[in-house]
Amino acid sequence: MTDLIDELPGEPMMWVLIVSELLVFGAGLAALSAMRLTDPAGFAEAQAHLDRAGAALNTVVLVTSGFLAVLAVRAAEAEREARKRACLAAAMALGVVFLVIKGQEYAAKSAQGIDWETHAFFTFYYLLTGFHAAHVVAGIVLLGLVAVLRDPRATETGAAFWHMVDLVWVLLFPVVYLIR
Amino acid sequence: MTRDPLLMAWAALVTLSLAGAGLSLVPAGSVVSLLALSLALLKGRIILHRYLGLAHAPRWRRGFDMVLAGFCAGLAGLALLI
Amino acid sequence: MKYQTQKIALAYFAVALALFAVQVTIGLVMGFVYVVPTFLSELVPFNILRMLHSNSLIVWLLLGFFGAAYYLLPEESEREIHSEKLAWLQLGILVLGTLGVVVTYLFNIFEGNWLLGKEGREFLEQPKWVKVGIVVAALIFLYNVSMTVLAGRKTAITNILLLGLWGLALLFLFAFYNPSNLALDKMYWWYVVHLWVEGTWELVMASILAFLMLKLTGVDREVVEKWLYVIVAAALFSGILGTGHHYYWIGTPGYWQWIGSIFSSLEVIPFFAMMAFAFVMVWKGRRDHPNKAALLWALGCATLAFFGAGVWGFLHTLHGVNYYTHGTQITAAHGHLAFYGAYVALNLAIITYAMPHLLGRDPYNQVLNMASFWLMSSGVVFMTFVLTFAGTVQTHLQRVMGEDYMSVQDQLAVFYWMRFGAGIAVVLGALLFIYAVFVPRREVIEPGISQPAE
Repeated sequence: MTDLIDELPGEPMMWVLIVSELLVFGAGLAALSAMRLTDPAGFAEAQAHLDRAGAALNTVVLVTSGFLAVLAVRAAEAEREARKRACLAAAMALGVVFLVIKGQEYAAKSAQGIDWETHAFFTFYYLLTGFHAAHVVAGIVLLGLVAVLRDPRATETGAAFWHMVDLVWVLLFPVVYLIR
Repeated sequence: MTRDPLLMAWAALVTLSLAGAGLSLVPAGSVVSLLALSLALLKGRIILHRYLGLAHAPRWRRGFDMVLAGFCAGLAGLALLI
Repeated sequence: MKYQTQKIALAYFAVALALFAVQVTIGLVMGFVYVVPTFLSELVPFNILRMLHSNSLIVWLLLGFFGAAYYLLPEESEREIHSEKLAWLQLGILVLGTLGVVVTYLFNIFEGNWLLGKEGREFLEQPKWVKVGIVVAALIFLYNVSMTVLAGRKTAITNILLLGLWGLALLFLFAFYNPSNLALDKMYWWYVVHLWVEGTWELVMASILAFLMLKLTGVDREVVEKWLYVIVAAALFSGILGTGHHYYWIGTPGYWQWIGSIFSSLEVIPFFAMMAFAFVMVWKGRRDHPNKAALLWALGCATLAFFGAGVWGFLHTLHGVNYYTHGTQITAAHGHLAFYGAYVALNLAIITYAMPHLLGRDPYNQVLNMASFWLMSSGVVFMTFVLTFAGTVQTHLQRVMGEDYMSVQDQLAVFYWMRFGAGIAVVLGALLFIYAVFVPRREVIEPGISQPAE
């Protein structure tokens, strides 16, 4: 039992959070997929208003940001503080890029008069992508925090949160943007 | 130059993401849904193994892989019912 | 008992148990009103009985928590409580407030008075002066325990307990906000009611359970603390947004249906973890603690909390289900087993553990205490089953077939009679428990040869 927990890379409490978050987003995505069956045409029509190219670009942005976060952990473990901070800053900057693209997407919806009550699909769309975007914001803050701390373990924990945000997005993307 | 598995992971993720972007250009259907979910599953596994380091924790990796695959299979099942 | 100030707990437990007796007795009376609706209808209407039943429950559970804190903090912090006088003052205020509430409810004096009259809000109907008293008492308590912990040894148990108690007290402040818009009122009202029982109280529960496991099983503190952190993380993660399961039909936006359904479904996890924790600790534990009754209550608490709060909560937490079951006897079934399992049994567990030390009776009468566990728990479990059946029938007849409320109630009579029977068992069990912890001085069965010091 204890050795199983020791086998887990990084902070076990962060894994508790990661699993909890995956459960929540997983349940949300499953609920969306199930509700889609009640009105496939309506969901497809609503989904057609989404910006697929922007979302696909955002996938590349996030996985690249995740890559930089791993580089930061390596730098922290090698006690190369300057390099660690540079990597984290770049990862955070890409997080901001993600939010800007996301913000444009929301603004475009708003300009079309779409909100979360327009259709059941949009309720899920705003809930899932909104929750996710909130985690991106939290992740940026967390990465900023661990950039200041001289503790490789903290960097690893912050990066793990960031990877969770990444993981959620790659699962969310096909369900929300592609499947119809 | 030795190939860093991390660099390979990033390259794979970008490639798979671009493939996903390509899927958004073709008309939707069951095949596209299955492909999109397969790409997501592959990307998810890479993030878990390489970014989150489960490659070095075989028992956890197996557990996460199984649950993730089951989840994607469930989503695929729902997608095929549309 | 290692510290003199732990004695304070005795007074808190005594008042708590007295209120417990009052609470279950009123519950029994209400069970009778269900089958003979005219009983007491002029003298003490059902809504007054219900206020007394639920308010006395909350107050005695809180008194039990305070007592538990005064009992376990000196042992954990390895020092005396900061001020014994303040602890007595706090108890005095709470008792005065409780008496004030009872008198105000029963005789409905000061109707409409903003300071002295009842407010008519379910669970938060206390007159404003009592609410202020509760806050003052809570501040005294927090000051007292925080000073104790800050000056002494800090453990995961004391940290989580303090976090829970501080959160509990701060959230009560929402009880003062009473907007005239009923939907808004209900929304903030749950900040107290839900975030208490499915948030901060769970922290208190987890830390008291952890203390009991530490003492009763002798498992390493390090192991207990790991479990404690995971349980607390799971409780807060699911419980805070789980508030959404109260926002389905009160006029709040529709997205709450999904937030509430998803997060509150996860609320089963911390309760499952607490049950797993209790059993794994006992299984791994090396210590054969003589207080078997406390162990029985602790395990019973974790198990019944899992079923009552976890499983019975999940039964009707998805909004698709709740659309039909909302406010039926299903809710009553869940409410009874959840409160009994999670918080009543928890209090009785810590009381069972502490009493022999507080009264200097070691060993004490375990047989009667354990009998009271089985009697009371069977009563509540049977009541839960009966109400679940009643609720299922009610949901079908009333919500699906569209029959009117009162004619459905008539058809549920047989269930209400069985519930009344279950209530008798609970009251007898409660009285037996109180007798068992206070009165007998000798063990009925000769204790074994080995008697550890603890």
